[in-house]
Amino acid sequence: MIRLKGRLRSALIIGLQGIRARKLRTLLSIMSLFLGVLAVVVVQAASETARRAALGETELTMGKDGTLQMYVPTEGKALETALDTVKDRPDVVATTDMSAIIGEPKVTPINRGGMPFAAVAEGQGGPRLTRPDGGEFICGPRGCYPIGQKESSLPETPGQAIELRLSAMTGDVRQFKPFRQQSGQWLDFASAASLAPRIVLNKEAAKFFGTYAVPAEMRISGATANMTPQILGVVDDGIGEPRAYVRMDELQNWLPAEQLRQGGTGLQLLMEPHATDVMQILKTRLAASGLEFAQQLRAEPVDSRERVADQLALIRWVFLGMAGLVLLIGVAGILNVGLATVGERVEEFALRRAVGTSRSLLAGIVLAETLLTGLLTAGAAIGTGMLALNYVGRYLGKVHPVLATTEFPWQAGVAGVVAGLIAGLLGGLIPALRAARIPIATVMRA
Amino acid sequence: MIPLVRLSGITKSLQGNQILTGVDLTVHSGEAIAVLGRSGSGKSTLLSLIGLFDRPDGGSYLLGERNITRLPERRAAALRSAEFGFVFQRFFLLKHLTAAQNVAMALVNGQGWLPRRKRRAKVMAALDRVGIAHLAKHRPPRLSGGEQQRVAIARALVREPRMLLADEPTGALDTETGNLVIDVLHEATKEGCGLVLVTHDWEHANRMDRVLRLSEGQLGEAR
Repeated sequence: MIRLKGRLRSALIIGLQGIRARKLRTLLSIMSLFLGVLAVVVVQAASETARRAALGETELTMGKDGTLQMYVPTEGKALETALDTVKDRPDVVATTDMSAIIGEPKVTPINRGGMPFAAVAEGQGGPRLTRPDGGEFICGPRGCYPIGQKESSLPETPGQAIELRLSAMTGDVRQFKPFRQQSGQWLDFASAASLAPRIVLNKEAAKFFGTYAVPAEMRISGATANMTPQILGVVDDGIGEPRAYVRMDELQNWLPAEQLRQGGTGLQLLMEPHATDVMQILKTRLAASGLEFAQQLRAEPVDSRERVADQLALIRWVFLGMAGLVLLIGVAGILNVGLATVGERVEEFALRRAVGTSRSLLAGIVLAETLLTGLLTAGAAIGTGMLALNYVGRYLGKVHPVLATTEFPWQAGVAGVVAGLIAGLLGGLIPALRAARIPIATVMRA
Repeated sequence: MIPLVRLSGITKSLQGNQILTGVDLTVHSGEAIAVLGRSGSGKSTLLSLIGLFDRPDGGSYLLGERNITRLPERRAAALRSAEFGFVFQRFFLLKHLTAAQNVAMALVNGQGWLPRRKRRAKVMAALDRVGIAHLAKHRPPRLSGGEQQRVAIARALVREPRMLLADEPTGALDTETGNLVIDVLHEATKEGCGLVLVTHDWEHANRMDRVLRLSEGQLGEAR
C-alpha cells in the first residue's frame, strides 16, 4: 500500500512537473480535447434536462415514480366502502372524475363534450357525428351543423356555458401529482367543507374562463341542485382538456353516493409506496361485502422514470455517439501531442530509469500527464457547460418556461470527468508504452 | 572483507559484436577504480552492466554476497535506486527543474516515499556535499558546466549509494573544472562508497586507487 502510494505520488508529482514544463503543448492538448469533452457534457446536460422536463410532465399526469395506483369499480357498495377505508389516511387519496357544466343553465356548452380551447377557438367543432340517414354533422359552441356548412352562419345560441371534467378527491393529490400552481391557491383540505364547492381550474379550463364570461352555476348530472362554485385558483396539471378539481366531501353535499356511482368513472386510489395495508384492508372489506372482483384488485406502481427513460434513451445514445466521435478526434489530438512529447523526452525517460524509476512507473508518469490534461479539459468543459446552462435558464427560460428551472445536472459533471479521464487514458496509452520501452542505455550512448 | 562488487567471466555482445569476452572485476568499499580504454572498447558497456542497465550474456555478478546476474527489471530498478549512483559525461539535468528538483529526481522515483521535508533535507545535504547548496533554486541554464556536473553528482549521491559509476564525467569540462569534479567524486569514496570511473584522462585515472585498461574485451591492470 505504502509502495503504491509512493508510486502514485511520484507519478503525480512528475506528471505535474511535465505539464508545467510544457504549458503550450498542454494547452494544445486541452484545445484538441475540449470540444469532445464539451460535447459529452452538453449531451449529458441536455438529456438530463430533457429527462427532468419530461419526467415533470409525466409526473403531472401519471403521478410520481413509485406511487401505487388502484382502480376500484363502483359496483354495489364498493364506492362507499373504499371512501370509508381511505378516510383519515393522509398517505392515500381517492379520486373520481365526472362531467360538469359551468355557466348558464339549459344552454349548450361552448365546448360540448369538454373540447379543448384551441379546438373551439379554431372552429374545429367537437366530434364528428353521423345521423341515421348517413349525413355527418359536427357540434360547436353555437350548436350542431352539417359538415361543410360554416358555423358562423348559424344563429347564435343565447347564453354560454363551459363543459369540463371535474375531479373530486378525498385529499391533496399533489403529493402524488405535483401540479404547478399558476395563480390563486390550491384546495384546503384542513378546513370544514363548504356548501359552495371550491374548485381549482387547470390551465386549459382557465382559458375558457378568461375568454368567456359565464355565471358561476355548476351542473352535474344527478346532483340535488345546481351548485355555485368558488374558483380558488389555477394549476398546471399537464392535461390538455378543461378540468377542475374539487374536494370530494364538498361535492358529496350535492351529489348522493348513488349518483356519484352512476356519473363517475370509478374510483382511482393513489397511495404512497408503503401504504399497501390499505389495499389489503379494502380487499378484505369488499370481499366481506360479497363483491367478487375484490380479489382481482391490484395496485400497480407508477413507472414514470422508466417510461421517460425509454422515450429518451434512443435519442440520448444517438447524440452520445456523435459526442463520442468528436471526443475521438480530441483523443487523436492528445495522442499526437503525446507521441511528439515522448520523442523529445527520450533522454529524460532514460535518465529516470537510470536513477531507479521502473518501466511501469515511467508509463504511469506519461499517463498521469495525459490524465491530468484530461481532467483539466473536463474542468474547462464543465465550467463552460455550467455557464451556458446558466445563460439558458436565465434568458431562454423567459421564452420557454420549461427551461426556467434549468440547472447544471451533476450527471453532466460526472460524464465530463469520465470523458476527460477516458480521453486522457486513450490518448496517453500509446505514448506511455513507448516511454516504458525506451532503453536505459540511451544515457550511456548519448 | 566481502567485496562490494564481484564480476567473474562477464561476456556481452551487442548487435553481433563481442564487446566483453570474460571480464573479471572486484570493487571493495571505499575503493576508487579508473577504467581506461579506446573508444568502442566496451567501457560504457561494462559500466552499464555494473549499473544494471543491461544484463550480461555470460558470467556472474555478485553485489555483496547476492547474485544479481539475472534480475527482473523491477528489482533491478529498485537496486539501481538503492545501491548505485550514476554520473554521465553529459549531465542530463532537466532544464525545467531547479538544481534541487533535479537532485530530488532520484528520490521521487517510486522506490519508497519520503515526506517533502525529509526529501528537502536530503537534497540540501547532497548539494552541500558537492559545495553548491547556494545554487539549489537555480535552473541548469543558469549554471556553469562544472556546477551542472556537481548537481549531477549530488543527484547520484542523494540516496547515499554504495557504488558510484561515472562515465567520463569530465569529458565536457575544462581541466580545472574537471579536477574539481574528480575531487568531489574521490571525496565520496572516503565515506565508504566504491567508485568506478571511466575516463580517457590519465591524470584523473592516476588519482584512483587502481587503474585498469579494457582492451579486446578483457580487463587488465594498466598501472
